[in-house]
Amino acid sequence: MNLEALADCLSSASCAVTQVSTGLIVGMLMFLVTSGLSLIFGVLGIINFTHGAFYMMGAYCAFTAYALTGSFLAALAAGALGVGLFGMAFERLVMSRVYGRDILMQLLVCYAMILILDDGVKLLYGGEYRMMGMPDAFALPPVEIAGGFVPGYYLFMVGVALAAGLVLWLGINRTRLGKIVRALAINPQMVGALGINTTLLYAGVFGLGSLLAGLAGALAAPIRTLTPGMGVSILIESFIVTVIGGMGSIAGAFLAALLIGFTRAFGAIGFPLFVDGLMFALMALVLVVKPSGLLGREAA
Amino acid sequence: MGTNTVSGRAPSRRQVLGGLAAGAAVTGFPHIAGAQAKAIRVGMPTILSGRVAILGTSSRAAAQLAFRQINEAGGINGRTLELIDRDSKGRPDEAAKVTRDLINNDGCEIIIDGEASSGAFAVHEVIRDLPVLCLHTCSETSSLSADPKLHVKTAFRCARQGIHDAVAGGTYAARIAKQKGLKRWMTCSPDYAYGRDNTAEFLEFAKVFEPSIETVDQVWPKLFAPDYTESITKILQTKPQAVYSALWGGDLVAFIEQSNLYRLFNSITMFSGGLGDPPVLTAIKQLPPGLNTAYRYNRNYPAKPANAAFADAFAKIAGHEPTNWAWQTYLACQFMAEALKRTGGRTEGTALAGALKGMTLPAPFAVGDAITMRDTDHTIIGYPVAWGRTVPKAPFVEDFSDVDWSKIVELEAQWKKSKGYA
Amino acid sequence: MRPGLSPAGLRRPGLARDVAIALTGLALLLALPMAFPAPALRDFLIYFFAYGLLAMSLNLLVGLTGLVSFGHAAYFATGAYVFGLLMQTGRVSIPVGVLAAVGGTALVALVIGAICVRLKEIYFSFITLAFQMFIHSVIVTWVSLTGGDQGLRGGIPRPPVLGLDLNDARTLYGACAVVFVLCILAMRQVSQSPFGYTLRMIRDNPARANFLGVDVTAMKLGIFVFAAAMASVGGLILALFVSGAYPEFAFWTTSGEAIFMIMLGGIKIFLGPLVGTLLLQTLNHFVTIYTEHHGLVLGTVILVIVLGLRRGLADVLFDWLQARRAPRAAGPAPGSLEAEPIGDGALKGRTV
Repeated sequence: MNLEALADCLSSASCAVTQVSTGLIVGMLMFLVTSGLSLIFGVLGIINFTHGAFYMMGAYCAFTAYALTGSFLAALAAGALGVGLFGMAFERLVMSRVYGRDILMQLLVCYAMILILDDGVKLLYGGEYRMMGMPDAFALPPVEIAGGFVPGYYLFMVGVALAAGLVLWLGINRTRLGKIVRALAINPQMVGALGINTTLLYAGVFGLGSLLAGLAGALAAPIRTLTPGMGVSILIESFIVTVIGGMGSIAGAFLAALLIGFTRAFGAIGFPLFVDGLMFALMALVLVVKPSGLLGREAA
Repeated sequence: MGTNTVSGRAPSRRQVLGGLAAGAAVTGFPHIAGAQAKAIRVGMPTILSGRVAILGTSSRAAAQLAFRQINEAGGINGRTLELIDRDSKGRPDEAAKVTRDLINNDGCEIIIDGEASSGAFAVHEVIRDLPVLCLHTCSETSSLSADPKLHVKTAFRCARQGIHDAVAGGTYAARIAKQKGLKRWMTCSPDYAYGRDNTAEFLEFAKVFEPSIETVDQVWPKLFAPDYTESITKILQTKPQAVYSALWGGDLVAFIEQSNLYRLFNSITMFSGGLGDPPVLTAIKQLPPGLNTAYRYNRNYPAKPANAAFADAFAKIAGHEPTNWAWQTYLACQFMAEALKRTGGRTEGTALAGALKGMTLPAPFAVGDAITMRDTDHTIIGYPVAWGRTVPKAPFVEDFSDVDWSKIVELEAQWKKSKGYA
Repeated sequence: MRPGLSPAGLRRPGLARDVAIALTGLALLLALPMAFPAPALRDFLIYFFAYGLLAMSLNLLVGLTGLVSFGHAAYFATGAYVFGLLMQTGRVSIPVGVLAAVGGTALVALVIGAICVRLKEIYFSFITLAFQMFIHSVIVTWVSLTGGDQGLRGGIPRPPVLGLDLNDARTLYGACAVVFVLCILAMRQVSQSPFGYTLRMIRDNPARANFLGVDVTAMKLGIFVFAAAMASVGGLILALFVSGAYPEFAFWTTSGEAIFMIMLGGIKIFLGPLVGTLLLQTLNHFVTIYTEHHGLVLGTVILVIVLGLRRGLADVLFDWLQARRAPRAAGPAPGSLEAEPIGDGALKGRTV
């Protein structure tokens, strides 16, 4: 515990800038993954345990597209859209068959999918460590802000995550389609009775959630190591964020991801050894005090 | 055609089998390299799936290469060697299970243990129960061979050992620190037993050789963490002159690339225990020059034709440069073959162990003339424990400076005493 | 009025039959290695005992009480570590070590369970998962006691018990078989007791149970602790056999696998999870031998079972038997699966 160091850091502009940006960098990518998980849970009421594997797929899709085209935009698009489409197919062919059944059946199906995807990646790419490489556009020295340093790529990454979050929020809360989706979450029979194709809508929402995981994977590909099984730690992390923020709440996911990002950034300065324990403790505390999470709806 | 009678005499057939063995690495289906009548079966529990799959796939490829070469040279007293590998999925209880199965069910008479960390200890206990010859090829944890309480009569380690690396690293770091006046040090190592022990031992020896070294701070990211930003910015804030890291594998790749974004290595001298592994070096897209790293494997060091030949032959099977685990496994196979020759093909654990104790082998990887399997604690000495500096083009590390083994052994003895091992 | 383990519960009808079945099962288990003396079969069965107890005990929560725990392996590991650590002191006999491990685990489960059972549904699942991750990180961090990620090293001694030398593989197997059957019998006893039926009521209609004056929280806590104690026996069998304990025992994948064993086997028959354990162990064993791509194969098999059969294998068998029996019991209305057959077998079938 070193609160003095923490106070010193907060009073110095350069340190504060670097650590705040660290919190955003850690938090925003986490938010992007989690928002997809939360969206799927909020609307479909199922927990997509394959979300981490989708993140891995996004990274590998981006890796391949970048190797083929050399274009970073193509890599991002491939990661996001490729996984989005795969997610829709997965929902139609597999998940939709276990709706309304035991949550354990969903878990089992997802586990099978994780096994298949992890092995598939190993079959295609081998067990070696892979790195997509930083696009030239971002191979610049870090930007200096008030004496603190922030790498250009991270500014871009945080920007994309924020934009995606904003579009998602606006889409759900300000558009007609969003209204239908919200209605779908509450009363699917009624939505169906109104002549709306709920099957398509479910697939669409699942696909959108998967797309967000894929986009996060693609954004991570230049800076994180690609290996089979890389999705596992991401899955655990996003569960913690989802639970703290509230299952099904996008805004909650945003808040919780920021909270954890800042805890890690400033915890590294002030109380380095407690950071991980703090995440579990926070999760347990939230579950005991308010199981529905910071911004979640109360359980019916 | 099913009787296998012509085995040793038809070169074309052997080539076919060799091709099959190579194919096994790719398809993963046929698990038997060089299957022949009366073959000596050697079992290999290892990790072939998950995020450290490369540990197992590269170890297996090295064993396949060694077996093929031994069989092509006539095998052992007319008997061929046959490799049977099993994936433990990184679970120690599974490692114990497949090892028992390999011995009890598949008739394996020797075990080449390609397990890391806890898995190696689990296999070690199986060997206590079922005393066949076992060569650990991936565990670097010193206590496995140094702690007499853990001693198993037929188990040997054919891998680098943490304490040897620590002495070498400390010596090298102290020398550079003296040259460049590096006094303020930080560490960034994974938060688990190996990471903590390795880092503590490195600092301990560095301070022995250069007392002015001061540890200003330490950060401990989690093992297999995807993101190191908070550790990197913490280092930026602390502004040390040098950083030591025990990160390895994919974690290290991510750490270096993320540090590049902050231009961390412009102002800080980096010392890494794991960067010298070729798959790590090749995975990093922008490898900063001048990072100090421990030797893990290099085709140019030791500069011997046999070493380069090994690297070429391995790359043909595996599709990438040898890993640290690969040369260790290859060497273990050579030790095993030599022991079998000396026992006249007898495979009893005690007989082979007797032959292996104190054996010296003129291996491609020996810094001097030979690598020795020390008889007192069943572990190898005389292998490369050098440090070098990174350069942007393959094989990425050069300028290796080695440490005199007599000095390593002397300090190791002191360390053993302090731990109550000797 | 309060249901529980009353003396009457101990003498329930059907007990004699259960004991007879258990003895037959035990005799079969002991005879098997004599008929097929390959050591690999014994090894396989010991793993089956360990993971079978984990799956069976988890099903007391999942199937019997409707509590979906994602963190059951925490107690499997606690049992293994407490037992291993006590035995390594060299001052305890195996029976004392076993009792202490089971008791210690029960104590841990009592503390954790007291917090967990207050939560419902998915929140219960998540908090059990959180506590499991906590226990896992304690094991990994507390290196001086547990050996951290390298596990409990140096072997677990097996001093003789009642003149039996457990270092002999056959004796060890026999001892494990006896303990395994005893535990299964104990779980059966609990599941068929009034306490067990109260748990079924809690699962099906907690509000009703509450109105009837059942202390739902206490009942849930009771079964949580009992299930944890049974899981710890599985853990210590494994620790005794592999002569070590490893943090992977407490990792979430171990809990996950126990859930798959239950689902593969089915939850309608008491011994369903054992069917699942056998299935997964066998699959794993052979797939690992023939291909390193076991993920691909295992994943596909699970998908086929879940999507094709839509339920566990033992459940398929059970439903088929029910369908055959139902027309007879219900008289002239063939195909009416809703008809309530009367009798012990049907009762057993409907509930776990």
